[in-house]
Amino acid sequence: MKLVAVGVSHRTAPVELREAVDFSRDGFDAALAALATRRVARETVVVSTCNRAEIYAAADSDTVADACARFIAEYHGLPWESLAPHVFSLRGPEAARHLFRVTAGLDSLVVGEPQILGQVKEAFAAASGVRRTGALMNRLFNTAFTVGKRVRSETGLGEGAVSVSYAAIALAKKIFRDLKGLNVLILGAGEMAELTGVHLQAQHVRQITIASRTLASAEALAAQLGGSAVPWSSLPSALGSADIVVTATGATEPVLTRARIEEAMRPRRGRPLFVIDIALPRDVEASAGNLDDVFLYNLDDLQTIVQENMARRTAELDRAERIVGEELERFTSWMQSREIVPTVVALRQRFETIRQSELQRLEPKLASLPPDARARVDEITHLIIEKLLLTPTEQLKSINDETMAVAYADAVNKLFSLGEEGRQLAAKRATEGEADDADAIAARAPSDRAKPPGRS
Amino acid sequence: MTLTAWLPLGLYVAAAVAYFIHFSRRDIRAGRAATALLGSAVLAHTFLIGMQTMEAGYAPLVGTTAAVSAFVWLLGLAYLYVELTSDERAMGVFVTLLLATLAVLPAMNPAIDPRPALLRSPLFTLHVLSLLFAYASFALAFVLGITYVLLFKEIKAKHLGFFYARLPSLQTLDVMNGRAVIVGWLFLTCGLVIGGIWAAQIHTVPDPRAQAMKVGDPKILFAILSWGMYSFALFARRAIGWSGRRAAWLSTVGFLLVLLNFLPVGYFLTRSHNF
Repeated sequence: MKLVAVGVSHRTAPVELREAVDFSRDGFDAALAALATRRVARETVVVSTCNRAEIYAAADSDTVADACARFIAEYHGLPWESLAPHVFSLRGPEAARHLFRVTAGLDSLVVGEPQILGQVKEAFAAASGVRRTGALMNRLFNTAFTVGKRVRSETGLGEGAVSVSYAAIALAKKIFRDLKGLNVLILGAGEMAELTGVHLQAQHVRQITIASRTLASAEALAAQLGGSAVPWSSLPSALGSADIVVTATGATEPVLTRARIEEAMRPRRGRPLFVIDIALPRDVEASAGNLDDVFLYNLDDLQTIVQENMARRTAELDRAERIVGEELERFTSWMQSREIVPTVVALRQRFETIRQSELQRLEPKLASLPPDARARVDEITHLIIEKLLLTPTEQLKSINDETMAVAYADAVNKLFSLGEEGRQLAAKRATEGEADDADAIAARAPSDRAKPPGRS
Repeated sequence: MTLTAWLPLGLYVAAAVAYFIHFSRRDIRAGRAATALLGSAVLAHTFLIGMQTMEAGYAPLVGTTAAVSAFVWLLGLAYLYVELTSDERAMGVFVTLLLATLAVLPAMNPAIDPRPALLRSPLFTLHVLSLLFAYASFALAFVLGITYVLLFKEIKAKHLGFFYARLPSLQTLDVMNGRAVIVGWLFLTCGLVIGGIWAAQIHTVPDPRAQAMKVGDPKILFAILSWGMYSFALFARRAIGWSGRRAAWLSTVGFLLVLLNFLPVGYFLTRSHNF
């Protein structure tokens, strides 16, 4: 069984093309159904976000990657020539590595963004909901989710706000416990004021008050944000009851002087005030930041934080890639052991069949033995087989290279004429997707030595 | 007996190391291990104190070393309670550092001091336990105060770094500090009142220590000083709005008084409490 990942992403295709091949538009089910009717591959998962449209497939044929790529073009009614140069195609471990990196947010436009894990989970749920996943895809995606979770909990990749608005909100959350009970005062009614207001509104603050030189524009913004407008003259009282102040006026002189804030702080009895000055030129006198319990951040400060967070995320990349590597190693060794498992099982069955038929043949001669001695014969023959098979089994299962594994499996099949049994087992696995069953048989085998049938 | 005496210390140290790894690397598994280690340290310590109680026939609270042991045990319990109820593990590294340091004293000297006739009163046990619980609360308030100041400085300096990424919000730390001071103050008040009643009862006993139970004795003086300190902290928070950084400093000074009274004064200076 071969694993491939085929598709386009923000690394390979421009945004117009990505929009044209968005699978999520008509729902994953439609795409999965179309893939199923074309019999492209036995197992398929379609992952599609605004930054990527990818198909993960498992099939026996060598042409599956090409078929998937062409499917993307045909399904969206694009000429193949226009899509072909932008398609990436990965096989085996590289396909798995790609999915792990995508799920961990390493392949995202904003590295470490957290939404992608949920999006991949949705894509997988859609595919398994219509029974398009089997043992390979289940294992692949579950490992990918592990990678995603580990990267999130063990590295700082997704930490730290990477936009000015989020940096301001994250700061507010480090000063106040949560923003729900807080009063926000916005000075100015321009675009920046509106943008910040929308972000704060999304945090469910208790009250948004807007003050502007022209009451009408303040009222307009207040109506939009579900807040209230106050005339410029009542600024002192509004300042007194605010927890967060956002200043975004077009004034050329500071509208909040140190003296004004100091005055507003006096009756507050230590209640902190967070002032976010996103106006250019600045609206708040810089020295106001020296006042006790006043936290003053201007646009430059917030941008510096954003840059530091970006740098920190980059520094965490190595740790995240290491986690991807660890899980990839585990996954590929599982995949390789899968290739060899039917052969191992068939080999063991062949030996056991020979033993049973020999015992059957000797039955007349063994009949005269006391039951105790007969049990011994059974035990000894069993042990001989186990000992003979121990080393070959271990050797076969320790092969770490896919082509080698296939070559060895072929050789063993030929040497012991296992062809028929091996094929039957492989067919059974394919129809039922019960790889774990065969794995379990192969894994159980060595421990059988401890419990020969005659003794148990 | 020696192993049981050293085991809590070993576990407290292990917990401190795990909390440190959790704090510096933000490793959630190290954090869980740390909580488990601290839990087993407190359990082992409970076992030790239980054994000592059975062996002696009375609660091992006689003498400063035994009191330190009980204090460590109570602080461990109180911290675990706070951690489990607030789901906040960041304070653990500071608390376990204090625990591991103090746990050295009882581990080095695990012998239980004989109980003088003077102390055979239920009031004695109540007095010691309320004060030790008050001290444990103050220790938590102190740790919360220190972390508050560390975080405050980072936010104020606009340099969001190590503590910013690890500590809960300023308001959370401040509210928890306020609660710890209230609880501590209540128990401190109880402990002092019980101590006063008991001192009046034993005033006629011809023991020099009973005679020395006066306000002028360093141990008693320091206890009253710390009571004044925390009373002021409570008053300042309610009446003049000294929360946040000022409250943090007050609880730091208060705990230094407590620690000073507990160790140097308790071991060397007092004439009334040298059991």
